[in-house]
Amino acid sequence: MNAFDKLDKELLRAVADLEGIPKGAFNIRKNGALLARECNANIEIENNAKGTGIIIRIKANTRNESVHIPVILSQAGLYDVVENDFIIGENCDVAIIAGCGIHCGSDQQEGHAGIHSFHLARNARVRYVEKHIAIGDGSGKRALNPTTKVQLDSGAHLEMELTQLGGVDEALRVNEVVVDEGASLQIIEKVMTAKRQTATSQTSILLRGKGARSNMISRSVIRDDSRQVLYAVMEAMAPCFGHIECDAIIMDRGTNETVPSLKALHPDAELTHEASIGKIADEQLMKLMSLGLSYDEAVNRIIQSFLK
Amino acid sequence: MLEVKDLRYAVNNNGASQEIIPAMSYRFQKGRFYAITGPNGSGKTTLAKLIMGIYAATAGKIILDGVDITAKPVNERAQAGIAYSFQHPARFKGITFRELISIAANTDDATEILRLMKRVGICSLSHLDIPVDGKLSGGEIKKIELATTIARNPKVAIYDEPDTGIDLWTIEPMVKLIKNEQVNHGTTTIVVSHNKAFLEAADTVLILRGGQFFFDGTFAEALPHLNNISVCDYRTCGDKTYDECFR
Repeated sequence: MNAFDKLDKELLRAVADLEGIPKGAFNIRKNGALLARECNANIEIENNAKGTGIIIRIKANTRNESVHIPVILSQAGLYDVVENDFIIGENCDVAIIAGCGIHCGSDQQEGHAGIHSFHLARNARVRYVEKHIAIGDGSGKRALNPTTKVQLDSGAHLEMELTQLGGVDEALRVNEVVVDEGASLQIIEKVMTAKRQTATSQTSILLRGKGARSNMISRSVIRDDSRQVLYAVMEAMAPCFGHIECDAIIMDRGTNETVPSLKALHPDAELTHEASIGKIADEQLMKLMSLGLSYDEAVNRIIQSFLK
Repeated sequence: MLEVKDLRYAVNNNGASQEIIPAMSYRFQKGRFYAITGPNGSGKTTLAKLIMGIYAATAGKIILDGVDITAKPVNERAQAGIAYSFQHPARFKGITFRELISIAANTDDATEILRLMKRVGICSLSHLDIPVDGKLSGGEIKKIELATTIARNPKVAIYDEPDTGIDLWTIEPMVKLIKNEQVNHGTTTIVVSHNKAFLEAADTVLILRGGQFFFDGTFAEALPHLNNISVCDYRTCGDKTYDECFR
């Protein structure tokens, strides 16, 4: 990674677990401009016509390949907006690793809004991992506002792992997914906020086809005086199955609002949800302390595992 | 040796102090197997939690091998050699069998973790990375609880109602396992139970009533008292007074 400075490397490691040039295709964006790109025989990456982002096309039947598309920001005052389209061919089985890392070294605001649109053709399988993190000693506000829109054709499967673990002052995440016949969706969203940070997540899932399945798991940790809000709406228009599970651990003086919503527009739809908000249970702390961990070690272990 | 001296535990009951354990003294000899039984509400679990430090004593002392541990927090008592198996074990979102036993045994060695799981009757490799959460059955969670206790290789092992949620066919192997731990490692073993199998396995049966041991002897000697224990002489049940009540 000779093209990258020390800070770039730190951010890339944090958001995409990259220790060097990734294997397979990649597109690395820094401060609103292309830093590095690699395509291969099955994965094509090009700028979109408006010049506002990229189009990633993955050929049908591509299997066991990955695409890394991290974004890093370290330019004071920059709010980077990017529109990326992912067109995944039939029967693919691939991983897409995205994410944004911000380094703020000044008192000016920095931010990123990644607007991602996915189209998974029939029987395609994708694992999509997106991590957000902000670091640096600057006092400027760090904002991350991702939007993810997904169309799952029949039999397609998408796993979305969305993580925001620290340093982001303000986040608004929007997820909109349409699940067609026999397709399935798994969303795992993990967010930790601290200080006076706020994070809002709005997810809408439309189960449109017969046999569609969706499972959404949200894990929130709210430290200090931070605040998180989660709206999760699941709407079923066919005989299908959907489940929403939202758990929030409040530490210190944080607040949380969790609003799961289920709409069955078909008599054979089966929708469930469970939600909990609260402090770490005393019985959990006592169990770990009875195994020899200190109070702080027990708290950290519980939080780490909860967000794993 | 574990000793409780003039141990008291009182709670605030609508502004009045209610004594759950009034000035108890007892010496648990090293390497012996004690079964503590008694009617509901007699203070069995309270005593066990006082020893582990989960409840703070109102007065008195708890001494382990000559060291006063009364003021020590739970984790320091664990490090001093006391292990505790909860009647209703905690469930965690995210922590797996592997992680929990790894913490208890202080090792990441998968072979050792699997060996401990097998000893409590969990033989499937696939269980290693299952979360210890609300999806487990009552039997599975109790087995993992037992595994974390024996993994500590403690000086004093406290088992609070270990058979809760366990099927009839698992109780005998569980008793054998706890007995083996006592015999092979010289573990001072304290089992809180109503189950005859644990009382029979114990060297000493202690019957608790009103926060005091009113019987201390063998199972055979305890039998007449145990046969009569379903009729207690509590004077107060809830807000009504009875001469006798069936518990």
